[in-house]
Amino acid sequence: MQTPVQMYRIGRKKNRFKGAGFFLKVGTLLFLIATPFLFPSFKIVDLAMNIIIFSVLVASFDILLGYTGILSFAHGMFFGIGAYCVALLMGQYGGPSYVHLALGLLLGVVAAAALALVISFLSLRVKAIFFAMVTLAIAELAIVLATKLSGFTGGEDGISLNMPGIFAVSHHMGHFLGIEIGGRIFTYYLILFGSVILFFLMIRFTHSPLGRVLQAIRDNTRRAEALGYKTFIFQVVSILFGCVVASIAGAFYAMWVGYVNPESCLGVMTIMLDVLLMVIIGGMGTLYGAIVGAGLLKTAQTFLPDLQHLAKIVFPHVAFIHQFLERWLLLFGVLFILVVILFPKGVIGSMREYMARRT
Amino acid sequence: MAGALAAFKKRSGEVSLAAAVVLFMLPLLWIPGKIYLTLTIAGLAMGMLIFLVASGLSIIFGLMDVLNFAHGALFAWGAYTGFSVFKLMRVWVGADSVLKNVGVFSVAVAAALLAVAVLGMLLERGLIRRVYGSHLFQILITFGAMVVLVELIRVFWGPNDEVIVQPLTFRGSWDMQGVIVERYRVLCIMIGLLVYAMIQIVLKKTKLGTIVRAGVENREMVQAMGHNISRIFTGVFAAGAALAALGGVAMSVFDRQVYPDMGGTYLLFAFIVVIIGGLGSITGSLLGALIVGLAYNYVAYLVPWAAAAVNVLIMIIILLIRPTGLFPAGG
Repeated sequence: MQTPVQMYRIGRKKNRFKGAGFFLKVGTLLFLIATPFLFPSFKIVDLAMNIIIFSVLVASFDILLGYTGILSFAHGMFFGIGAYCVALLMGQYGGPSYVHLALGLLLGVVAAAALALVISFLSLRVKAIFFAMVTLAIAELAIVLATKLSGFTGGEDGISLNMPGIFAVSHHMGHFLGIEIGGRIFTYYLILFGSVILFFLMIRFTHSPLGRVLQAIRDNTRRAEALGYKTFIFQVVSILFGCVVASIAGAFYAMWVGYVNPESCLGVMTIMLDVLLMVIIGGMGTLYGAIVGAGLLKTAQTFLPDLQHLAKIVFPHVAFIHQFLERWLLLFGVLFILVVILFPKGVIGSMREYMARRT
Repeated sequence: MAGALAAFKKRSGEVSLAAAVVLFMLPLLWIPGKIYLTLTIAGLAMGMLIFLVASGLSIIFGLMDVLNFAHGALFAWGAYTGFSVFKLMRVWVGADSVLKNVGVFSVAVAAALLAVAVLGMLLERGLIRRVYGSHLFQILITFGAMVVLVELIRVFWGPNDEVIVQPLTFRGSWDMQGVIVERYRVLCIMIGLLVYAMIQIVLKKTKLGTIVRAGVENREMVQAMGHNISRIFTGVFAAGAALAALGGVAMSVFDRQVYPDMGGTYLLFAFIVVIIGGLGSITGSLLGALIVGLAYNYVAYLVPWAAAAVNVLIMIIILLIRPTGLFPAGG
């Protein structure tokens, strides 16, 4: 005898490797693998790398926002912690070696976990909205500390770092399919590999029994409590997991860019705003929405300067358009509000709803 | 043991008052007396200005259960409106006449109050109305509104810092036996006290205030009694926005500058204040703002780099011992 739930799960399992969704996922992955060979320009590869790293960051934010119903403004800070730990160990206080890289990653994870624990114990005890305010205050504090303690963190100037061994920018191994094989390419695949593993982990996390409990808490905290779940513990676990993944994404970012500073790695109005936009546009509580959101936003940001340039050539005398394009944040802000009001489920969520209605 | 605890709880008011006085005097160990007095006045003035921002945030939350992340942007809009008035009436700002100086300040305040109250109404009617009841979406949508409002400032007034010239009467300071008291700081303290008194009078003594206070307790009941709660909500939001604008004008003259991102800094102060004082409580906001203002000034004198950190630290300590703040709303 099978329960309806079991039958549903068996059905899902059978169709796991079929359907448009599955092929879309595999296609995206293959495309990202092939990107360095399809597009030889550094700009495109850099864009692809940014999309990959931000997909992981946004998905980890989605675990908090979409799956647990907690809004944290300190997620950018955890990203920065991961980036700074790698940069400190490989740039400031160590050298480009594999040991330092591993230690930096480990340090970032431990620091992020410890801080996430402290923050959740501080603010989860009260109302959920306190979490947003407390995390915003702590994130701003982190920026101030990173800027002011310049002896330790390099201040506004930030820290530069080099990758070790075969990942170094200066490392060259000759050509393959017309593409120069060197440190950059190896770093790209290392980060892609790490990101795919992290993404799989997050999908497993949300589909696990633990993930289901988290969604139950998000939808109705009282009922979840009445069913005997210790909501506080579950929320802490979710925050811990999300923040640790964010710190690893930050470490990847530092490894790729080779440079960290407070504005690019910690800023609430830079990183956090982007992440919020991506998760809203892609769709909260979908995980895959992270890829869509990151892809759309990063592509738009990369090609905006070109668009501005184009506008200056095509409409040399219409000052209005130039001003408009220079204030692209205004556009994104309006887009953000419109999406929140009209499509609160985002691209992926709305698409899933549409598909479900058709069948 | 239980008896002792109960006795302690009964006396907790006096105990915390004594603790507050001791904490307040603590910086005297490191700061010379006269500088301490100067810093205290500076701290009180800053606290009063932060109170203006925090009280609006707190009122809006208390009645409407809306956490307004766009409050800082409204503050900046107030400051920029005031800046425009100052620019238009340059002659009066520089004039050697108390009447004209006070006049230009009053006009700036009035213009800012009006402009931002209208902006607040639009914001409430257009956006926030759609997301009542869901904290998450309120935060998201007001955060989006903040981004748009700050960018609009950059479009209308330009992205650079602008200098505000203090009116002649407000400049300068009195030297009382070595204690330097800036004139404008005294004015700020007076504005803050006046606004606090006015809010209390409106809330406690008028019919409107009674309705608003009843709305905090039980929204449906007020509606059932035949009051148009939706219009009251819009009005309260506009009033809260106007308080932010007043804070913006006063603060920009205090700092002698305006910049598009100025709202973010003071929104953060306001958040810390309402967490310390208790969301929804006006007295709590006043006390929290004074704590933040004083602590900031003392620490900025002793350990300059830690000034921004000390307030977050105070917030964390308060969250640990009293998670709902010093004066929980409705309690």
